[in-house]
Amino acid sequence: MTARTEAEVVTDTSRLRAMLSSAGLQLLNYALILLLALGVGALAIAASGKDPVAAYQALLRGAFGSVRALANTLDRSTVMILAGLAAVLAFSTSVRNLGIEGQLYMGAFIAAWVGFGIDGLPSLLHIVLAFVASAIAGAAWGLVPILLRTRWDVDEIVTSLMFNYIATFFTAYLVAFPFKSDTTILPGTDPINATAKLPRFIRGSPLSVGFPMALVLVVVVYWFLFRTKQGYELRMVGMNPRFAAYAGLPVKRSALLGMLLSGAMAGVGGASLILGFFGRFITQFSLGYGWDGIVISLLAKNNPIAVIPAAIFYAGLANGSLEMQSATQVPTMLVSTVKGVIMFIVTAQVFLRHLARRSPR
Amino acid sequence: MSIVDTLGRLITVELLSSSLRMTTPVLYATLGGIFSSEAGVLNVGLEGLMIIGAFFGVVGSVALGSAWGGLLVAILACLILSLAFAAVHLEWGADEMIVGLALNIFGYGLTTYLLVVMYDVSGYYSSEAIAGFQPLHIPGVEKLPLIGSILGGQFALVYLGFLAVFATWFVLYRTPWGFWLRSAGESPEAAETVGINLKLMKYSGVLIGGILCAVGGAFLSLAHLNLFSEEMTAGRGFLALAAVNFGDRKPLKCLAASLIFGFADALAIRLQRFGLPSQLVLMLPYIATVVVLTLSAIQRLAAQRARMSVRG
Amino acid sequence: MAEAVAMLGITKQFPGVLANDDVDLVVEGGEIRAIVGENGAGKTTLMRILYGLEKADKGTIRVKGEEVAIPNARTAIALGIGMVHQHFKMVPSFTVAQNVVLGMEPHRGVLYEEGQSRNDVLGLSSRYGLVVEPDRRIMDASVGEQQRVEILRALYRKADILILDEPTAVLTDSETEELFAILRRLAQDGLTILFISHKLREVLAISDNTTVMRNGRVVGTVRTAQTTSDELSEMIIGRASLESASRDRAAAKVGEAVLDLEGVCVHDARGLLAVKSVSLQVRSGEILGIAGVEGNGQLELAEAITGLRPTAEGRIALLGNEIQNLSVRQIREAGVAHIPADRYAMGVSADALVWENLCGTSYYEEEFSGRIALSIDSILSNARVLIKEFDVRTPTLHCPARNLSGGNLQKLVVARELGAERAQLVVASQPTRGIDIAGTEAIRSMLMDYASRGAGVLLISADLDEILAISDRVVVMYEGQLTEVGTVDASTRERVGRIMTGADL
Repeated sequence: MTARTEAEVVTDTSRLRAMLSSAGLQLLNYALILLLALGVGALAIAASGKDPVAAYQALLRGAFGSVRALANTLDRSTVMILAGLAAVLAFSTSVRNLGIEGQLYMGAFIAAWVGFGIDGLPSLLHIVLAFVASAIAGAAWGLVPILLRTRWDVDEIVTSLMFNYIATFFTAYLVAFPFKSDTTILPGTDPINATAKLPRFIRGSPLSVGFPMALVLVVVVYWFLFRTKQGYELRMVGMNPRFAAYAGLPVKRSALLGMLLSGAMAGVGGASLILGFFGRFITQFSLGYGWDGIVISLLAKNNPIAVIPAAIFYAGLANGSLEMQSATQVPTMLVSTVKGVIMFIVTAQVFLRHLARRSPR
Repeated sequence: MSIVDTLGRLITVELLSSSLRMTTPVLYATLGGIFSSEAGVLNVGLEGLMIIGAFFGVVGSVALGSAWGGLLVAILACLILSLAFAAVHLEWGADEMIVGLALNIFGYGLTTYLLVVMYDVSGYYSSEAIAGFQPLHIPGVEKLPLIGSILGGQFALVYLGFLAVFATWFVLYRTPWGFWLRSAGESPEAAETVGINLKLMKYSGVLIGGILCAVGGAFLSLAHLNLFSEEMTAGRGFLALAAVNFGDRKPLKCLAASLIFGFADALAIRLQRFGLPSQLVLMLPYIATVVVLTLSAIQRLAAQRARMSVRG
Repeated sequence: MAEAVAMLGITKQFPGVLANDDVDLVVEGGEIRAIVGENGAGKTTLMRILYGLEKADKGTIRVKGEEVAIPNARTAIALGIGMVHQHFKMVPSFTVAQNVVLGMEPHRGVLYEEGQSRNDVLGLSSRYGLVVEPDRRIMDASVGEQQRVEILRALYRKADILILDEPTAVLTDSETEELFAILRRLAQDGLTILFISHKLREVLAISDNTTVMRNGRVVGTVRTAQTTSDELSEMIIGRASLESASRDRAAAKVGEAVLDLEGVCVHDARGLLAVKSVSLQVRSGEILGIAGVEGNGQLELAEAITGLRPTAEGRIALLGNEIQNLSVRQIREAGVAHIPADRYAMGVSADALVWENLCGTSYYEEEFSGRIALSIDSILSNARVLIKEFDVRTPTLHCPARNLSGGNLQKLVVARELGAERAQLVVASQPTRGIDIAGTEAIRSMLMDYASRGAGVLLISADLDEILAISDRVVVMYEGQLTEVGTVDASTRERVGRIMTGADL
């Protein structure tokens, strides 16, 4: 970067602004990603001999086509919002937490345990207790990787990844032996007590208070990141650790906090599924929601508010794919391919941002 | 029962033999990771490449009627994806970790989808049509005392794997091209000063990595098992990453790490027969990885500190 | 001897700075030519153009009599030009021999010929007296040996024109002697040597002719045997340029010591001693200028005082309280402000918003935050006051800092550091480097103004004009050690110039 004149700055600033910060362009950005990804999907469907138009119509129907469908989608988006928030919290401080899936599992299990293990509590207290316990469990699961990093410079990418597998196997063990339940054929725990169940809005649909709770948490996370001291520290450390150290900000402590909050949020995400939709812990409950959360945070550019539409979109894809399969026999796995394409496109978006950053200087 | 007895019952010839077999996929992926890392590109997408290799190995085997044909198709598929990965990172400047993750997500998604679309099954695909690798019986080997029964009757790719370790070492440390690759990763400035083409080196490293991952993946689905199941790589690509990290990219040390993981894998299966819960035991390789990485990091820090104090 | 290199009419413009202004340089074969000047004189740019790392806007280059174009390093190497960089470019884990032959390794088929490579290196080594251990890994080699390896690498490529950029910057005295013996032998063998230096003592010892550059122009070329260090020093420093904002020294009210350093030793990134037992004092109301070419330990000293680097030995006291090796925040709270040399990587966070940058050191104070929440309103209104007071031109407080021009970014840094009026000591490192005249004026005024309110200012600058313009007292930092020069008067410039270039030693 070198010295510039006043005039240059003014023109560049307005040019930059016109280029990047116009809301219209952001929307165009998302529309483009969507179009491209769905386009690739359409090709894949056509290649397998089915009709893409009918398939996508079914997809839309299943996602948003009726009150029932919308309710299902919003409910499914709960865990995705929470996983997205978890990713935002970690990535804002440059902690590469790839262990969100595992933290989700641990939170889910603890929630189930609190759910069926405790009797006679008033409903509100029971639910709150379950969530708090799951947050602690999730945070604890992220503790080892971040401590290893701050103490001995062990790369948290691989360690947090390993803890995913440790979590899935450990909970599988717990469910197969100590917590084995006679009430179900699937490997799972006992069902949670009625007092721990999240109240539902519409009879017959799984949409529970989990969804508004997730929305509240979005606001909380936004407030935390942009309106509190610790949030400010977290973000500054993430944006430029050298500046942070020079200004006297607590670099290691921020990384630790970011990871713990991320793990806690992931735990709450897992709990929301157990206390809501499933009503018990079963071993294969997560369809990769942790990974969805990471991509959602990338799509949202680490902005908590933007996590909501991205999560609802992903949830719509997931729900719609079931309808799509039953109506047109296009397998639900198509959606995973579409998600993969989205991911690839998002990484190219990083390039565009790079380009925009470099040009005015 | 005493400890010696237990160990004796536990560590059988069969265990050691299957260790070697289970080391092989991770080993190939590790060698692939070495080439990529030495060129200066950290590839966290090894997992995605392996699963693609596993799937297309089966596809090729069915289509061409032989396991080696399957291997070829697997290599082709992985080459294409590695090229995409390298291009997005090198030409478009995308962060290598994000692209690597994209590779994993895409690999899992695509193979799961194609499994349904191509073979009309979900979960796993097993069929008579899949031609698997056959164990190789090299005459002299099996007669060797002690190790003969462990080394004998392995698949060709297992033996080739150990050869590949030597080949990797040879290429990287005994050929000019190897020096160029390593200089591009370790000191790009120095490489540029002497006119080495950095981009070419990085592309090469990533592509070779892709080929080796393909072999590892194809071995997984076509040797011993003859089937493809969703997400069957189960994190072996990440274990490979850990092995590269632990061995500091040196082929021999990375081999040691891979052997540890292979042993842990085989041990997990064996322990299940002892009545130990499979789930607990299957955690072993992953816990081992964390421990191994931590020890290696501590040792590295100590070495750095020693070097600094000598100079002061 | 015949002409080896001729660079004629070379002009090179960088944004904001004319690095080379119609430069002529003609060197004969077998000659040792020294190119001297201060930071920013244009010497390095000129040599980079010769080596193909930069392209001149205007001018011609002749190598061995023929006019050539040098678009990249490969071409330069092919023409027989080799460069030994100030910061060595080698592969740490490779051996000496492997580094020398990198890119053109001797081989039989695909097999690298270790033995032949070793012999080649030993051959060159003995021919020119460049003692190296072919099988030693570079990371284990001494700095002197590493430099010899760089030279060998150029020689291996059949270079007969050798460029050395500040070769003695990292060498001890004895290593320097060894290097000079080697250079003499190479020149005797017909090689042409061009070396950049700011150390006059050495230039006088080794070169045949000396070319002096200042502000992008060639001041003159003299036969080294016929000149003195005083004469050279005068050519390098020149007469004082425009007397801009200048210190009213008579009016300065100097009080008690604010900063007190005793026997401070600090290591650099490689573990070598960069600050060698430095003692100094800065008093309240005073601006102490540390003059010196960058790379003589100033960075390490500034970082040790501000807590960014450990102090190995010695005592650093602020208003009587010891602050060495405290945390950055503790030191800041004790009353130290820091305008860092690396403003883009450290002084600001480019992606963060302007207001977020401004409150980086004060956000946690009672006025700007509660127990958990930030008082955004107070922070923003304070930010508005700051940018008005320090004339930071920005379209809005909510745009990323990277939108600002260099001068405004530095004013932002100054606003943050000085705006709170809490600091008793300001450490200002290269505060106006790369900034235009208006911005420079403004920042110098801010520093002088702050000093006049009772703070102590430690000004570290490679710009001698700046030091002389606004400091009360001057010390010179050379190879990690300080030399006191005293209060600024008419004779200061000359004396400082000699010390900065090592002429006095």
